[in-house]
Amino acid sequence: MTEDVLDGIVGTRTSHVVVTVERGHVATFASAVKDDSPVYRDPRAASAAGLAGIPAPPTYPFVMEHNGAYPELQPQDAPTGSAVVTALAPLLAGGGLILHGEQEFEYHRPVFAGDVLEGIGTVTDAYRKESRGHTMTFVVVETVWTDHASGEPVCTSRMNVIHRA
Amino acid sequence: MLWFEDVQVGDEAPVRVHVLTRTDLVAYAGASGDFNPMHHDEVKAVAAGQPSVFGHGMFSMGLLGAALTDYVGAGAVRRFQVRFAKQTWPGEELRTSVVVRGTRSEEDDHLVDLDVRLHNAAGEVKVVGQATAAVPVRP
Repeated sequence: MTEDVLDGIVGTRTSHVVVTVERGHVATFASAVKDDSPVYRDPRAASAAGLAGIPAPPTYPFVMEHNGAYPELQPQDAPTGSAVVTALAPLLAGGGLILHGEQEFEYHRPVFAGDVLEGIGTVTDAYRKESRGHTMTFVVVETVWTDHASGEPVCTSRMNVIHRA
Repeated sequence: MLWFEDVQVGDEAPVRVHVLTRTDLVAYAGASGDFNPMHHDEVKAVAAGQPSVFGHGMFSMGLLGAALTDYVGAGAVRRFQVRFAKQTWPGEELRTSVVVRGTRSEEDDHLVDLDVRLHNAAGEVKVVGQATAAVPVRP
């Protein structure tokens, strides 16, 4: 019997990263999601809206790892590969499609330009379902973001990715 | 500014309408770091059996996030959850729907629960989910 690629995947660390949230990238990201609100660009507008700084748009935590993850900030134990990719690569080798099934964010406070945040990603669930003749493999990755200096919680991101055979 | 006292079940956020372009997908790829060729490389997308490039799910969620913060205010969102139901295609008109499902108070927090949806002009649902925001009470 072949080893199941999902065996033991729950609990696997997928990421450990420290990022700086940069004002320029926040503004670029806001433009990319077609949000022209001045709060993402002008600290005076953010202050007038009662915010402590320039906030990031709500879906920004999904892309934080791709900007401002400077080498000197990175933890020694950062995983080199992604558990999701490791899990799904053998499935993909046989064809099929990777889909982003669901996404959830919980926010304890807004993410602000200037924040230095630490993110730890873990596989929290993995399962299969049959749907309309396709085998669907679901992997859920939860990334918990905290303020790097204080350890206070900032937000949690949950991503459900699907391999459809 | 949205005040908690003024929120009624069934209230709707202003609708955002956006016609998706290939340029949007390139801009989102650059800003997000998601360079999956299915979203910007027409040759590869067609070779993979797709009719054309298609939108990032997170671009759709981002459009919906903009409609949400237009209404409740940036920084007010406590939870935002969606399921990606259908792909989005260049040329499609995407429309947001953000509707108040309920209000509740927990200790010092005054919360608004919302149903969120992105659909095309024909009404096909692309993204569907829920959000919760904490909004202030009148001083």
